[in-house]
Amino acid sequence: MSARVFLDYVDPWINWSWLSTHVQLVLEALGEHIELSVIAIALGLVIAVPLGVVAHRNRGLRLAVLGFFGAFYTIPSLALFALLIPFTHLSGTTAEIPLVGYNVLILVRNVLVGLDAVPRDVLDAADGMGYRARARLLRVELPLALPSIFAGLRVATVSTIGIVTITAVIGLGGLGSLIDKGLIENFRTPVVVATVLSITLAVVADLLIAGAQRIALPWSRPS
Amino acid sequence: MSFFGLVWSWLVDPTHWQGSDGIPTRLGEHLHLSAESVAVSALIALPVGIALGHYGRFGGLAINLSNAGRAIPSFAILVIAFQIFGLGDLPIVLALTALAVPPMVTNSYVALREVDPDVREAARGMGYRELAQVLRVELPLAVPLIMAGVRTAAVQVVATATLAALIAGGGLGRYIVDGLATQDYVQTAAGAVLVAGLAFATEVGLAGVQRVLVPRGIRLLNAPTAPRTTTFKTA
Amino acid sequence: MRSKRASLWLVGVLTAVALVAVACGGSTGGTSKGTIKVGGFKFPESSILAQIYGQALARAGYTVTYKLNLGTREVVAPALKNGDIDLYPGYAATDLEYWNNKAGEANGDAAATTAKLNTHLQSQSLIALTPSPAVDQNAFAMTKANQQKYNVTRLSDLAPIGSQLVLGAGPECPTRPYCLPGLQSTYGIHFKDFKALDTDGSATRAAFKNNTIQVGLVFSSDGDLNSLGLVVLTDDKHLEAADNVVPILRKQVATDDVKNLLNKIDAALTTADLVSMNAKESLEHQDPDAVAKTYLEAHNYFS
Repeated sequence: MSARVFLDYVDPWINWSWLSTHVQLVLEALGEHIELSVIAIALGLVIAVPLGVVAHRNRGLRLAVLGFFGAFYTIPSLALFALLIPFTHLSGTTAEIPLVGYNVLILVRNVLVGLDAVPRDVLDAADGMGYRARARLLRVELPLALPSIFAGLRVATVSTIGIVTITAVIGLGGLGSLIDKGLIENFRTPVVVATVLSITLAVVADLLIAGAQRIALPWSRPS
Repeated sequence: MSFFGLVWSWLVDPTHWQGSDGIPTRLGEHLHLSAESVAVSALIALPVGIALGHYGRFGGLAINLSNAGRAIPSFAILVIAFQIFGLGDLPIVLALTALAVPPMVTNSYVALREVDPDVREAARGMGYRELAQVLRVELPLAVPLIMAGVRTAAVQVVATATLAALIAGGGLGRYIVDGLATQDYVQTAAGAVLVAGLAFATEVGLAGVQRVLVPRGIRLLNAPTAPRTTTFKTA
Repeated sequence: MRSKRASLWLVGVLTAVALVAVACGGSTGGTSKGTIKVGGFKFPESSILAQIYGQALARAGYTVTYKLNLGTREVVAPALKNGDIDLYPGYAATDLEYWNNKAGEANGDAAATTAKLNTHLQSQSLIALTPSPAVDQNAFAMTKANQQKYNVTRLSDLAPIGSQLVLGAGPECPTRPYCLPGLQSTYGIHFKDFKALDTDGSATRAAFKNNTIQVGLVFSSDGDLNSLGLVVLTDDKHLEAADNVVPILRKQVATDDVKNLLNKIDAALTTADLVSMNAKESLEHQDPDAVAKTYLEAHNYFS
C-alpha cells in the first residue's frame, strides 16, 4: 500500500484566475444542484407526512413502511441508479427516485416519533372538547409533531445535498459535475469549489430550516 | 431473455467468479477497505466519544459533530484524497474514516450521557475508581447505543466504499462504474445487486453481533426503546 | 372587486405568455443554414476537435449545439445512429473496427481504412469524410524509470517479461482489438494483470506514479507525456493502425457545403497541432472551446 504525493504537480488548490473566468459554469452547477435537492426534499415530505399519519394508526402498515423504506435506505445510491437506468435511463427521474426514497425513510420515522410523543392527556382533552378525528389530527397532533418533523427535515436536507453530488456519475449536473471535471482533468480547483459550495449550501439550508422552525413554532426549540 | 434473466446469467456465469475482476476478489477488496476504515474510525471515535460522554464535556461539539459530518459530500472527499495521495488504499481508507468518525463520536457521547446519574452515583459510592467505573458500569449500559452507532457507520462505510471505484479503487463498485463507462447495463445492475446484498448482510450481521455483545439484562431493559438516534447516509 | 382582480390577472398572464412566445420564437436573428448537433467522446481531445468543427460550422452560418463528453464509442455511436447527434470526430482505424464488429480490416493506410469504414457506414445513412494527416493512436507507455529497469524500447521487448507487468487502461480495453487482445495476439504479451482505470486520464497517470501499473494506455497526441516522465514504446509490429482524425456524420447533414468546410479543416490539422492543443488543456487547464477558438482564429475559420 504505497502512496506518493503528487510532487511534480504544482496545481494550486484554488486557481483564482480559472475561477474568475468560470463563474457561470459554477453557478449553473450550483443551480442544478439546488434544483435536484429541492425536488427530492419536497417530494419526500409530500409522501412521508401522509404516509406517516396513516402508518401511525396501523401497526402492520407501520412495520411494513419502516421495513420497506428502511431496506431501501441501506442500498447505496450508486447501486440504485444502476438498477434504475435500464428503466428510467440517464435522467433526473433515475436520480430522484433513490433520493426521495431515502428522504421518505428519514421523514416517516420522524413523523411517527412526533405523533407517538403527543401526550395521551392532550389527545383525551381534544376528544373531550369535541374534535373529530381529522380535526384532531390537523389541529392538535400534527402541530405537536412538527418539531420532530422539522428535525427530520434538517437531516433529510443536509443528507440530500451531499448525495446529489453522486448524481454526476450518471451524467447529471449539480456540484458533482465540477468534482467529476476536476477528477478527469487532474485539476484541483473545481473539486475544492464544489466541496466548499456543497458544505455551505448544506449549512445554509440547515440554518434556514432551523430559523423557519423558530418563527413558525416559537414554543419549540430546534434541537 | 428478460433483463432480470440477463442479470441472473451474469451473476451465475463462472467466468465472473475468477480472476482479478472476479466477484470473490472484488468482494474481498470491498470488505478489506470497509473493515479497515471502520476499525480505524472506531479506534479514534469511540475513546473520544466515551471520554467526552463520561466527563460530560464539550457536549455541543460532540453532538454537532455528526451534523457537520453529514454535510461533507463523500464523492468530494474521495476525490480530494485521491488528488493528494494518488492511487491505492490509503486515500480511500482516509476518506471513509473521515466520514465514519463523526456519527460514532456523537453516538458514543450520547450513549454515555444517557447512563442514569443515579447509577453513576451508586458506582462512585461503591468505591469504583474512574476507569473501572467507565469500563464496568457505564460502558455495559452504553453498549447498545454505541453498537447502534458503529452499525450505522459500518453500513454507510460499506455503501460509500462503492464509490472507491470512481477513483480507480477496487471493490464491488468496480462493476457499476465499468459498466457505466461501457454502457453495459447488465453488468451495472449485477454489480448493484451484489452491493445491495452486501449492505443488507452488513446490517443484519452487525445486528447479530450487537445481540451477542449486549448483556441480556440490559437488552431487556432497553427493549421497548432503542431506536436509531442518528440517521446517517453518505452514499 | 372580484372581477377587477380577475381581469388584472388575465391581462398579466396574457402579457407573460406573449413575452415568452416572442422570446422563444425570435431568438435566432438571421436565417440559419440548419441545425447540426456535434457530439464527442469523454476525453479532452475529442471535445477540442468537436469544438473546432462546431465553431467553424457556426461561423459559416449553421446553428450548432453540442453534446460533449458523452462517453466511449459505445455511447457515441448509437447516439449518431439514432440522431441524438449529427456528427462526431472519429478515428479511422478504431472506428472501422467498431462499425465492422471487430472484423480486423484496418491497416496503416488512412485512405484505404476510411474507404472500408464507409462501406460499413453506408447502410446506416452515415458517412466518413476525408481523413486528416493528424493521427492519435493508442500508445503504450512506461515511466522512464521502468523503461530503464526492464531495458525496453519496443512493444515486442515486453513479450518475455509480460507476466511481471500490470497493464492499465480504460475499462473498454479488454474488448478493443488495438488494446489488450491486440497486444496478446500480435505481440504475444500476456500481462500479469489488467487494471481498469480511465481512458488516458488522471487515474492512469496516478497509477503510473505509484507503480500500480508498469504499462499504461495513453494517446500518441497527449500533451503532457514528457512533463510526466512517460515514454512511449515503439509499436514495431504496427498493431496500431491508421487512427487518423476523421469526422463521421449523418448523411442528412453531409451537404457539399458542410463536407468542404470539414475537409478543409482536416487537411490543415496536424499531429503537432493535436499535441499542442492537448497540452494547453492538460497543463494550462484551458477549456476546449477556448483552445478550439484560438486554433480557428489562427486559421481564419477556414472561410
